[in-house]
Formats: sequence, structure tokens, C-alpha cells
Amino acid sequence: MENPRNVGSQVGESDMECSDNDNDCFDDDDYYNAVDDNDIEQIDPCKLDPENFNYQCLGEEQVERLLNESVEYLSYNLKITPSLAKVLLLSHQWRVNKIIEKYRKDASDLLITSRIKPPVTPPSLPVSRYITCPVCVIPQPSEKFFSLSCAHLFCKDCWVTHFEVQINQGISTAISCMARDCVVLAPEDFVLKHLSRPNLREKYQQFTFQDYVKSHPELRFCPGPNCPIVVHSSENKAKRAICSNCKTVFCFQCGMDYHAPTECSIIKKWLTKCADDSETANYISAHTKDCPECHICIEKNGGCNHMQCYNCKHDFCWMCLGDWKSHGSEYYECSRYRENPNIAHESVHAQAREALKKYLHYYERWENHSKSLKLEEQTLENLRSRINQKVMAGVGTWIDWQYLFTAASLLAKCRYTLQYTYPYAYYMDVGPRKELFEYQQAQLEAEIENLSWKIERAETTDRGDLENQMDIAEKRRTTLLKDFLDF
Amino acid sequence: MAALPRRIIKETQRLMQEPVPGISAVPDDSNARYFHVIVTGPEDSPFEGGLFKLELFLPEDYPMSAPKVRFITKIYHPNIDRLGRICLDILKDKWSPALQIRTVLLSIQALLSAPNPDDPLANDVAELWKVNESEAIRNAKEWTRRYAMDN
Repeated sequence: MENPRNVGSQVGESDMECSDNDNDCFDDDDYYNAVDDNDIEQIDPCKLDPENFNYQCLGEEQVERLLNESVEYLSYNLKITPSLAKVLLLSHQWRVNKIIEKYRKDASDLLITSRIKPPVTPPSLPVSRYITCPVCVIPQPSEKFFSLSCAHLFCKDCWVTHFEVQINQGISTAISCMARDCVVLAPEDFVLKHLSRPNLREKYQQFTFQDYVKSHPELRFCPGPNCPIVVHSSENKAKRAICSNCKTVFCFQCGMDYHAPTECSIIKKWLTKCADDSETANYISAHTKDCPECHICIEKNGGCNHMQCYNCKHDFCWMCLGDWKSHGSEYYECSRYRENPNIAHESVHAQAREALKKYLHYYERWENHSKSLKLEEQTLENLRSRINQKVMAGVGTWIDWQYLFTAASLLAKCRYTLQYTYPYAYYMDVGPRKELFEYQQAQLEAEIENLSWKIERAETTDRGDLENQMDIAEKRRTTLLKDFLDF
Repeated sequence: MAALPRRIIKETQRLMQEPVPGISAVPDDSNARYFHVIVTGPEDSPFEGGLFKLELFLPEDYPMSAPKVRFITKIYHPNIDRLGRICLDILKDKWSPALQIRTVLLSIQALLSAPNPDDPLANDVAELWKVNESEAIRNAKEWTRRYAMDN
């Protein structure tokens, strides 16, 4: 084990978990808690919750301690300075055992490829009392000269200026020898020995720290603005991390917005594509639509896609403009894109049109759910004032209405996942797996719209019905993730 | 302005006393960090017979940072763009404080002898250099004749 720490399990999710402190009331020798009687199989938490993720939010000092454990372990085992251990760890993604194995096999090769030693051992030069520095061409006594393992001598002043210039460019662990074509790196102790200005030393240490964290597969800086938190997890996976300090939600693997069920590489491709093509898409997807029944212009002012025309009371779907009645059943298909089966025989022009049509289908839905998420934040505000009114009018107490907030946060979570199912589907190959995915996606979408509709119109008496709906929506969400999150 | 570092004085002296064949570098009268450079087009290259003017400036933290060099004479070359900027590793990430004005100018002269279209700065030039080298060389000769001769 590389980091022999007892990492406290922390479940990434707080809103849905119920506390498990029930067994506090049992005594230690309780019959049911006896270890040898424990015939219940340990269930992998990932099977129950595909988004389960064990991680810790660490402050700078805790990270330093974690890194130092590896540094000390390596420097003790290989009998090298901590500074050299850091150079090795940095170039080997902190895989201590891998380094030790390589060292035992061929120490010299490891030190050369890690840029600690030069490929050719330098000849030992007779040192005269005065040397002319090749950089500043000032002759000075030899005590003022220093070199790395490559024996390229430069005067102290030149080393210091070299470090200053490099550090001011944001370079720290990558500072190398000043000689032409020499790749030997300047280890931390060598740099710090020469740097005296406190602000530069501080800057240097700050930059090296960043390099260490970025090179460590178990660490990831919280992407929140100016947030000092580093997330630590032993599983380097595209899982959801929530910063304990600034509450930013992000993907542990890539540091971008959390994007399950879509993979890091796919979401990157999708976002780039959206940024490139959005002008067209924006042009085509307008913000208002006409009621399919009475053709009155309707602006969407809530997150729910189940629309009811305020003029003619016609119920329809905002996405496909079809009658909402057909969306209640399991034939809900408005999220599915139907590819033209004859496309291979069509002209290039038609194929381009089809490609654009396909992209727009997914983009519109992606964009629409993203907008719905924002609109539902407003719904939450409306909810607050509506509850105030109700409480003032004596309809239920404040407590009675709290469940609506839980429902709203669940709705946001479900819709967020739904939004990220569209890039996933866009890049999927046509086949039974895609059909299954789109079926489940449609199911999730239907339940989310039901939930949204119910929240916007909730009364205290509907609580049971609403909680039932919440449960269904969350089940659909986890089912989809379980089947399609590949870990 | 701070006094000129010994390093720059030494380099300038040596450039004057033992000039590099085919290269002249003269500091400006009013600014000892600014050099007027003339590089003659190398033999057996499409730039042969041309005299190319360049400017070279030593920044404040020279030699810790690379000199800034730019072609003033128009040149048809895959690693030099329309503004005369040069794509050369030692002027960027491969800079070492042990390199000198002399070595930089020698490298630029070598770049004229051996263009590298796989690492281009001027994309259209590099493209032609790869797909139709003889036409590219014809263009380079034409530009040399038009812009780098009889000045």
C-alpha cells in the first residue's frame, strides 16, 4: 500500500443519506453485533449507489503531511535526500513501489531518466582558484561556484538570477541546469540553498506544491475560485466530489463540472462541439414556441416541460410539441432521436443536414435541461414565497412545507443527470445498447417532468403522492447510472 | 538604465573582433542592447546571394532569458512568418544562459540552410514546402531576389 493511512470513508452525498447511528443503543456485547455471527455478506457500496465515492477534503497542511509520508518512505528506503525523492516521485506519479522496483533493477538508469544524473558521467576537472563563470563572464574564487550532478559550474549569483527568472515565469520543479542541452533538474534543496529573498522562496514552494498535487493521481485541487482545498481519493475515477469548503461539485478525474454518465473525454468533446456550433443552435432553438393548439406565443417560465397553454388549456410537451397525453405512458419517446435509416444512400449534402439535425436534437435537449435547471432555481424562490403565504393564511405550518425543498433539491439532482445523458447518447453507436439507454433516459425524463409538475403545484395534502414521485425519479436515475456508468 | 553587464560588453567586443563569417551584428549607437544584424544567405540555399536584415534585442534579464530576434527583410521560409518572427527552439524553451548572440545567429543561419516544414510558423509556406518543394524553392529564390538584393 502506497499510503498506509486510514482514510475515513466519507460518502459523497449528504442529502439522501439517512444516518446510521441506530446501533448506538446496543451494547458492545450485543448478540446481533457479535462479529463471528456476522453472516451478512459485505455489500459493495458501489452496487447500491453507483455514484458512491470515498474521498476526503484536505487542507494544505494535511496534503503536505500526506506527500511527506511518501517522500520520507522513499528517501529512507533508497537512502537518498528528500529532495531527490521528490524529483523521482514527481516523474513517477508518486508510485513509490514502482520507483523502488526500478531502483533495484537499474539505479543508474532510473536516475538518468528522472533527470537527476547526466547520461554521461562528467570528467572531474582540476579546480583552479579562480574560475570565469560562463554566464556572467566574471572571474571569481572557486568557492563561489556550484554545480548539479552534471558538474556544470556557474557562480552563485547566476544561479540565483536563473532561479528568479524561472520562478517568475511560474516554473519550479522543472528548473534545469543552465548549461546548453543539459537536462539535469535542480532539486528543491539546491534551489532553496541559493534563494534568500523570502517572497521568492515562498513563491517557489507554492509552485512546487502545485506541481506535486497535480502530478499525484490521488489528489485534485478543488476547481472553485481561490479555494485551497485538495480532494484526496484512492480511486482515480470520474466520480462526483463536493468541496467541503466552497461546495463546488466537480468530477474528480478531470476537475470539470460533474458529468455522469458521460465520460471525461466525451464531455470535453461535446462541450468543444457546443462552443463551436452554438451560434447555429442558438439561432435554430428560439426561446419561445407557439401553442400547437391555439398558436398563441408561449414563453417558458418554469423548468417543467409539461406545458399547459394559459389560453386554451391544451397540455403539450415543450420539447416535441406533441400532446402530453402520449407522454404519460411508457411510449414516452420524445427524448429519442430517430436516425434516418437510408442515410448512407443520400447525397453528401443530405448527410450533412442529417448530421446537423442529429446534433441539434441532442443539443436542444442538453440546452433545454440546463435552462430548466436555472428556471427551477427561480421556482424555488417562488416556492418560498408561496409557502410564506400559505403559512400566513394558516394552511399548514412551516415544518409541514419543508418536504418541498427536499423535493426541489432532488429534482435538481435528477435533472442534472438527465442533462448529461444527452452528450452520452449523442456519441453512442446505434444498437440495442443505445436503444436501452434511450429507453431508460425517456423513463427518467418522464418521471422528472412529473416531479417538476407536482412540485410547482404542490399542496400540503399531496405530500405522500409527491414523495412517491421523488422515489420513482431517483430510482430511475440510479438505475440508469448503474447500467451505464462504466467503472 | 542600469550599467551594461560585463557579459554583454564581452560578447559585443568579441563580435566586433572576431565576427562570424557571413554575419554582422552591430550595436545601435543609442542602445547597446539593440543590435543591427545582417545575415548573408547560405550557399546552395534558395537564399544564396541575399542579404537579410534582422533586429536583435537583449532583454533586461539576458542571458537568463533569450534574446528577441526578428527578420526585417521579407523572407519566404516555413519557420519565419510574415512579421519576421522566427520559430527556433533555442529562442524559446531550449534557451540556455550559456548560449550567446553568436550561437543564436549561427543557428538562424543554419535554419536558412535547412528549413523545417514539419514545425512551421508560416503555415501556407510550410504546406507548399511539403507538397511541392520545387515550387516553394522557386518562390524563396524569387523573394530573395526581390527583397534581399540591391538594398
